Amino acid sequence: MQSKFLVQYEKREVRNAYAFLTPILIVIFLFILFPVIGTLWKSFYQDTSFLPFEFVGFRNYAQILSDTKFWSALVFTLLFALATVVLEAVFGLIFALLLNESFKGRGIMRAVILIPWAIPTIVSAQIWRLMYDYTYGIINHLLTSLGFIADKVSWMGTTSSAFWALVISDVWKTTPFVVIILLAGLQAIPQDIYKQARVDGAKMFKRFRSITLPLVAPVLLIALIFRTIDAIRIFDLVYVLTGGAPGGTTETLSFIGYNYFTGDIFGMGSAISVITFIVSFMITILYIKLGRFEKNIK
Amino acid sequence: MKKILIIIALALFSLMSCGRGPQLTFMVGGAPNELAYWEEVLDAFEKETGISVNMIRQASDTEQRKQSILIALRGQRPDPDVMLMDVAWIGQLASSEWLEPLDDYNIDASPFFPSIVNLADTYESQLVGLPVYVDGGLLYYRKDLLEKYGYNKPPAYWSELVEMAKKIQAEERKTNPNFWGYVWQGAQYEGLICNALEVFASAGGGFLGPEGNSIVNSPANVIALQTMVDFINKHKVSPPNTYTDMKEEEVRQMFQNGNALFERNWPYAYGLHRAEDSTVRDKFDTAPLPSFPGGSSASTLGGWHIGISRFSDMKEEAAKLVEFITSYETQKKLAVTLGWNPGRMDVYTNPEVIEANPNIQNLKEIFMGAIPRPTVPYYSQLSVILQRHLNAALAGNVEPNKAIEAAHTEISKVLEEYAK
Repeated sequence: MQSKFLVQYEKREVRNAYAFLTPILIVIFLFILFPVIGTLWKSFYQDTSFLPFEFVGFRNYAQILSDTKFWSALVFTLLFALATVVLEAVFGLIFALLLNESFKGRGIMRAVILIPWAIPTIVSAQIWRLMYDYTYGIINHLLTSLGFIADKVSWMGTTSSAFWALVISDVWKTTPFVVIILLAGLQAIPQDIYKQARVDGAKMFKRFRSITLPLVAPVLLIALIFRTIDAIRIFDLVYVLTGGAPGGTTETLSFIGYNYFTGDIFGMGSAISVITFIVSFMITILYIKLGRFEKNIK
Repeated sequence: MKKILIIIALALFSLMSCGRGPQLTFMVGGAPNELAYWEEVLDAFEKETGISVNMIRQASDTEQRKQSILIALRGQRPDPDVMLMDVAWIGQLASSEWLEPLDDYNIDASPFFPSIVNLADTYESQLVGLPVYVDGGLLYYRKDLLEKYGYNKPPAYWSELVEMAKKIQAEERKTNPNFWGYVWQGAQYEGLICNALEVFASAGGGFLGPEGNSIVNSPANVIALQTMVDFINKHKVSPPNTYTDMKEEEVRQMFQNGNALFERNWPYAYGLHRAEDSTVRDKFDTAPLPSFPGGSSASTLGGWHIGISRFSDMKEEAAKLVEFITSYETQKKLAVTLGWNPGRMDVYTNPEVIEANPNIQNLKEIFMGAIPRPTVPYYSQLSVILQRHLNAALAGNVEPNKAIEAAHTEISKVLEEYAK
């Protein structure tokens, strides 16, 4: 397989290619592969400063899997990923279609829409926190002064309202990412196809369903895979907005891992990280299978 | 030519970094005024002893300070030599054998609060730290409002606090819709544990018994937790975001803006409430926290302690620095410049200190009886468990007795794990 691919190049070219790739391979090994293997290795050990460092096999995993806290965090994380990714796909598509049309100020709009994405999450999370604030927050202020609600609402007070508060903040921040990727995909669609469709008398919705959507689907899939993996390791929004409250019901997988690491229980923290990795990995495979990714790419 | 220059530069750079010997390093964090204070202290130390000290500045956030110290100690780094530790970590650091026993260094612990040194700084009968400054939970109250509504002293019991808060809140709401009776730290974090310990202990409860067994499920704790829940949900004297947002600064700002009658906070709030831009400047006072009838007021011990790393490469010099920082003069300066409460008891009678902080005599009494959080190495695990279950009860997701029972079961499991 490899030789089949390489045979079209000269030996010298192949050698050069390896030489050029070596630095990046070293970087990948040092900063990605090495830590990942280290985490996997550590997840089989008891690594707590005040206890002996020893091999414990799957004990860390067994402890985590028998803990109700883990399962509620897993469910919360998956629901969060589902809600955010669906909303991001819908809004991302709408905005990308709008920005793909030619209108005055389109260049500026394309730049402006990126701003939420460019702000570090920890910063935008703080801004959302201030907006959601019970006493001084603008959301309560607007809703009460416009008469939508009689009393102020503690937005982080119940699990469901905290969930939606987190989802809204995340969708606001990461939709631009989906928009930009989709926009690139939309621009790759040749205009001739649309012209042809018009001649054939296809209406706008028909054109969208039969041309735009299928042709942009592979790109959308890539964007959603990225978004899903990101959503599954969500930490910063939760850390700032809820801190796990009320009663630990908004804890995510990464948040539990964080608690283990700060509690100096590195073995358990590593095991949680490995589990998070496995969950993301399985979901990615699911995407690829469901999206018939290989076929689409060809 | 360029290549040669780069090689020369690299060679010079590596030479420079080789030439440095060990240096005494002090790791400390805090607000800018605190760091400025520590710089002055280190300058004075260098003048007196000729030993220069490198100060590593940490964040002001306690959790982040813990992380950076843990990383250095886990890696057995020779620096930092000396560091400040939150009282809640000492159990973990000491049992990891990361702290140098101070007994061999001719350090006199007798002027310090004996109960604190015993409970927090002694590990397996060895002295591993000294309190640099001490903290404890206090009740701040609006004396002008109590007077206005005919109360002549702060509440001694939680029931009195609720009664006063309900009445005054209802009246004050007429002019200030944001007014609350009692604000305290209830978010899901370490501060909740400090608040809960105070209420629990004032009912005769607590977390761990004398043999290290869990007494979390004692009936006193259930009554205490119910009282905390009632502040929010039944009497509605504490805001509904108590269990999601309320940490030290949120609470302090509410009180300082004139939006609260009672506040539970650490002594640091005192100086800020008395600042010129504070709306409650001359209108408040402090008192011990209330208790239940038959119980006694309790204050959770907080504060920062100094210790020497076991991996220090300059232990003799480090001990000198510890001695300097905990000396009468430096401790006095700490009280006068930062308004903090020194770990040395003899400083509390100094006229300069009393002038700077007239409240300090009352505080001394409170600190003498302050209760530490469990000093077991796995404390942070216990804390995480308690945080989740107590917070769930405050949110009204679970009944207090169920939350207490669940926390007790999980904590007993952790204790069993470590007893093996």
